[in-house]
Amino acid sequence: MSDTQWPRYEVFEQERPNRPFQNVGSVHAPDPELALLNARDVFVRRPDCAGLWVVPASAIFAKTAEELEADNTWKQTPVPADAPLETWLVFQKKTQRNVMTYVTHVGEVEARSPAEALAKALEAYATENVYVWWVVPERMITRSSPEDAGPWFTPARYKTYKLPTEYKTVTQIRQAKAQKRKSKQR
Amino acid sequence: MNEELKQAIVQKLIALADDELILGHRDSEWTGHAPILEEDIAFANIAQDEIGHAVVWYSLVQELTGQKPDQLAFFRDAPDFRNVQMVELPKEDWAFTMMRQYLFDTAELIWLDSLAQSSYKPVADAANKMRNEEIYHYRHTSTWIKRLGLGTEESHRRIQSALDALWGYALQLFVPLPAESTLVTAGVVPDPAEVQAQWEAQVRPFLDAANLQIPDITTPVTTSRTNHTTHLVDLLAEMQSVARLEPEADW
Repeated sequence: MSDTQWPRYEVFEQERPNRPFQNVGSVHAPDPELALLNARDVFVRRPDCAGLWVVPASAIFAKTAEELEADNTWKQTPVPADAPLETWLVFQKKTQRNVMTYVTHVGEVEARSPAEALAKALEAYATENVYVWWVVPERMITRSSPEDAGPWFTPARYKTYKLPTEYKTVTQIRQAKAQKRKSKQR
Repeated sequence: MNEELKQAIVQKLIALADDELILGHRDSEWTGHAPILEEDIAFANIAQDEIGHAVVWYSLVQELTGQKPDQLAFFRDAPDFRNVQMVELPKEDWAFTMMRQYLFDTAELIWLDSLAQSSYKPVADAANKMRNEEIYHYRHTSTWIKRLGLGTEESHRRIQSALDALWGYALQLFVPLPAESTLVTAGVVPDPAEVQAQWEAQVRPFLDAANLQIPDITTPVTTSRTNHTTHLVDLLAEMQSVARLEPEADW
């Protein structure tokens, strides 16, 4: 059976300026531009977003700590002869708090292939307790632009009607339930 | 403010609000039915924005007349609504919905740009705030129009027939209200003819680049916002049913 879904893009969010971008989940989209728009709608309808990136999932080279432990033959993958040296972004997951693979941007390496990028990342960014590593070629990243920030991220701040607390119904239902319980106890 | 100007502002605000409310409701009909989950979330978000804009405009009416937004939205009947016919048409297919949204968003953005300079400050402030959201709506719908227009044979056929069906309706967005000239003179609103000229200057080349042919229609389907299709009656019956079950309920 063939997959009729659109390609998957991983989404990275920056909560505040100067904070690292963090993977928050994924969206499906026919192309990067729509992926970015979808990411905005799915992940940042609430405030505290300063920027968004999307990356096609197929462009990500990923290894878990277990995979690295069990097998390092990937390091032998030869670098294609004509592969250009380019910038790769390195992401790590350092906490088990989140069940999902929420990796955080930690830095860059220059490399000519996914395997070379990961090998360099392992050297440059080795710390204790890294559970997951991702490397992504920078050219595959589509970023929200600074001009987008206003229309994309600020409206969430004043759209209080999108919050359940805006409606008395929630507290009123609670009150009604409490009253019902009381009358049962009597 | 003299009574004539005040009444003219109220009429304009009701027209603006009713357009947003009815379109927002039609858009909300896609919730749970959009072509893909991400788009479902995106479009529900847009629907909610449009209804949010309606609330803003109705609230300005309330400042002038004391009528509450809920009263205006849920306890008027079809003949009292002042929306354009385009927004009350059934949602049809995705192409139709996207084209309607595109034609509306582009017009709304130009209206809001001008209204942000309104001599009536509450309108200027509201327009300024909404503009930000509409820039995003425009990005979303225009992105879709391009892809449908330049996509497959089927997507092109569907989006072209949506344009054919909607163009005459869209032109109603620029028909002056009975008291519009009072507002234009007072600097409360821009001249609708100028808004239309700006809109066409933007929309025509864009649709052309999306390989779409604008139909040879220059007159709007109707020139009065008191004329409605029967679709509005059906829409209101559903939209107002819950509120009317318990008119005294406090939401």
